[in-house]
Amino acid sequence: MFVLSGSTFPILKGSELDYDALSAELRKLRENVAGVTDTVIAASDGIPIVADVAKNIDPAHISALAAADLGIARQAAEVIGLGTLSQTVVFGSEGYMAVYAIGRLSLMVVLGDKGLNLGRLLHETRPVIERVGVILSS
Amino acid sequence: MLLLSSGRIEEGDWTAALVESVETRSLQAALVARGIAATEIQSLVMVAVQDGAFATAAGEIERYVFDECIDPPLLPAEQGVAPDVLLAGTARRLDAIAAFSLSPYRDRVMPGRVTEPAGLSAERREIVALADGRRTARDLAFALGRSLHPVTVEIGRMLEDGLLEIAPPATSFRCSHWGLAALRPRTRAEPDVEISLRSSEV
Repeated sequence: MFVLSGSTFPILKGSELDYDALSAELRKLRENVAGVTDTVIAASDGIPIVADVAKNIDPAHISALAAADLGIARQAAEVIGLGTLSQTVVFGSEGYMAVYAIGRLSLMVVLGDKGLNLGRLLHETRPVIERVGVILSS
Repeated sequence: MLLLSSGRIEEGDWTAALVESVETRSLQAALVARGIAATEIQSLVMVAVQDGAFATAAGEIERYVFDECIDPPLLPAEQGVAPDVLLAGTARRLDAIAAFSLSPYRDRVMPGRVTEPAGLSAERREIVALADGRRTARDLAFALGRSLHPVTVEIGRMLEDGLLEIAPPATSFRCSHWGLAALRPRTRAEPDVEISLRSSEV
């Protein structure tokens, strides 16, 4: 086994990650929740795994920011005693960035415009996170 | 959103009005104090009510619940809106987009074969610039800061004029993993992952 030094996500030649299934989940999420503009699944160290983003968005940058964001939120949750972190959301005047923990090893980023119904997103995302977690670990 | 996007109020003033309205319980009074006429606010509220009814009717309703909550909206229509007037207006708006067979929520648009940037109105140029094949009419309305109905009608006309076309799924959803070698499926979550410092192991 080859372990990428310093990465939480080891790479093994010849293994198969079901990218099609991950892509289908990202597509369904954007179709089902009006206002979702871009989505990225990344390892929790900020390395992108699969992305559905507009041309002007760099998945590597988004993944790095999301990993840092989630890391800080997770640390805060643990230090304050809030239990296990599930998500953190950045509210901006022009839109949202929601970052969801998928176990401890990966994350999902959802970018949304200012018309995004955050409650609807949270409702729709819960089963998606579960399925993506299964795909990533199967 | 309409007040902000039209530049009638600065974002700082809007936020201040929102904060102030928590205590006074009237966002309209806070906006009037910042120089926006009550009549202008009420006409915008009517536009928002009518567009909201259109937005609801043009979409699909999966389920609904009766809510006991009677919290007033942030900016209520002072005179109220008669349901039959609202329904008749909404039916007219739905008729206006029926001819285009364009779903404001499902169809994603991209620039068409006809390109005549010189002859385009500023509004149409803006729509063409934002139509990247990923955005629906609803997305474009939010990006433009305008009401859904007029934007949907304009997009319908631009589709007819060949300035826009419905994007194929391959354009609307571009999932990529950059041809990277497959990542090893991770093991099920463990409480703490120990990062290996070794570069390889058998």
